[in-house]
Amino acid sequence: MKFLCIDCDAAMKFKDVTRPQQGSITAVFECPDCFTEIAMFLNPSETQMLKSLDLKLGGSNEAAQPMQMIRSQLETGKQDIMSNISTETGTGETSEGGKCPFTSVIADAFEEKPEPESDGLKWTPEALERLERIPSFVRPMAKMGIESFAKDNGHVEITAEVMDAARGNFPAQF
Amino acid sequence: MKTYTELPDDAGSNIIGQVNAQATRISERLSSVDQTIAIMSGKGGVGKSAITTNLATALTLNGCSVGIVDADINGPSIAKMMGVRKETLEYTSTGVIPAKDSLGTKIISMDLLLSGDDAPVMWSAHSQKDAFTWRNTMEVGALREFIGDTEWGELDFLLLDLPPGSDRLPNVVELIPNLSGVVVVTIPSEVSHLIVNKSVTLARETLNVPIIGFIENMSFYVCKHCGEEEPLYPTNETHRTNFDLTNLGNIPFDPRLSLCSDSGTPIVNKHPDSPTSKSIMNVAQQIQQYFSI
Repeated sequence: MKFLCIDCDAAMKFKDVTRPQQGSITAVFECPDCFTEIAMFLNPSETQMLKSLDLKLGGSNEAAQPMQMIRSQLETGKQDIMSNISTETGTGETSEGGKCPFTSVIADAFEEKPEPESDGLKWTPEALERLERIPSFVRPMAKMGIESFAKDNGHVEITAEVMDAARGNFPAQF
Repeated sequence: MKTYTELPDDAGSNIIGQVNAQATRISERLSSVDQTIAIMSGKGGVGKSAITTNLATALTLNGCSVGIVDADINGPSIAKMMGVRKETLEYTSTGVIPAKDSLGTKIISMDLLLSGDDAPVMWSAHSQKDAFTWRNTMEVGALREFIGDTEWGELDFLLLDLPPGSDRLPNVVELIPNLSGVVVVTIPSEVSHLIVNKSVTLARETLNVPIIGFIENMSFYVCKHCGEEEPLYPTNETHRTNFDLTNLGNIPFDPRLSLCSDSGTPIVNKHPDSPTSKSIMNVAQQIQQYFSI
């Protein structure tokens, strides 16, 4: 997968990746010449495929831990498979306070990001129902966009009407 | 405007490099393993896992150092048959220490990682909907880690017990391009031969993997009263002779084989003088001769 800045005819560079949010990863790429940024969204199936291949967007400087894919992704695994690693962090330091360095590596890679705070915004049941009808792979972005629109326009509650008003800011219909 | 091939890399993710690192991990791990053999059938229910555990034990009894990879990710049975289900795997910075049976055979199996007897293999996902799109990839990834991340040490033989289905062997060959060979397990039935032949064709003509030979399990039974050998299945000789492979052995049916598998001690170890054990020991010797070990 490669990205080209058409204006500069230059290969874009990986800049950042977010942890999955509602199953979707967002990766940001930047043009090294004009610094234009683009965001690439992986839908949950694409994110899952990446996880199953144990590959990381942006590459990884960490050496792979033994059976890290199984141990981080096996939902029905033994409790101890994530925690009883008897190893160093890779920098010569041993883990302390019961913290497993492996767990943090995995968390950085694929652990689901907590739902963003809604900054006190309340969603009415009708608005939530409409939100659920938005395809899952664009829902996180739509939700953030609607909340951003609501805050910018002084709303404290997101209703169907607020969603209608925000609709003009999005290419996708909801 | 530049094209795909003119761009120098994949924006910094180095996906090819990551994939190559995974392959290197396997080849480095297997550098201390003399022979890697896939045990396959294509068809389920032919006693492949029981043959694998007994073959591994027979090789161990013959003085070889042996490991088993239970490649049946969703239906793991090897740990139970080898009596190591209660073993706890140890994770180190360089790999996972496999379970060992009383004779020293090394075992890795999904059964050793699952939380309980009734726990199925379930992978973490935002949604299990559309899981068919990624579950197989996850299983191949698990197999890759079993082979590449287990501390096998020096081994004469590493046996891979494949699940039913001819689609599994290509996955193994992808992971282990220099697979030493394949042993095919069948039973004397036309249905089994029909399915197994597909796997043989795939292995020989498409994947170009050496086939060491076939083992016919449940070939006959020995009457405990008169000692006569009687066929367990009505056999069509035409089908048998059309099976164009080296016959490594015909294993007689013995109910004790199943009982021994259930109890976690392979029959070749528990009843070494039984006709079944002697047949399997003979198969082991032929495999050793094949590889001059």
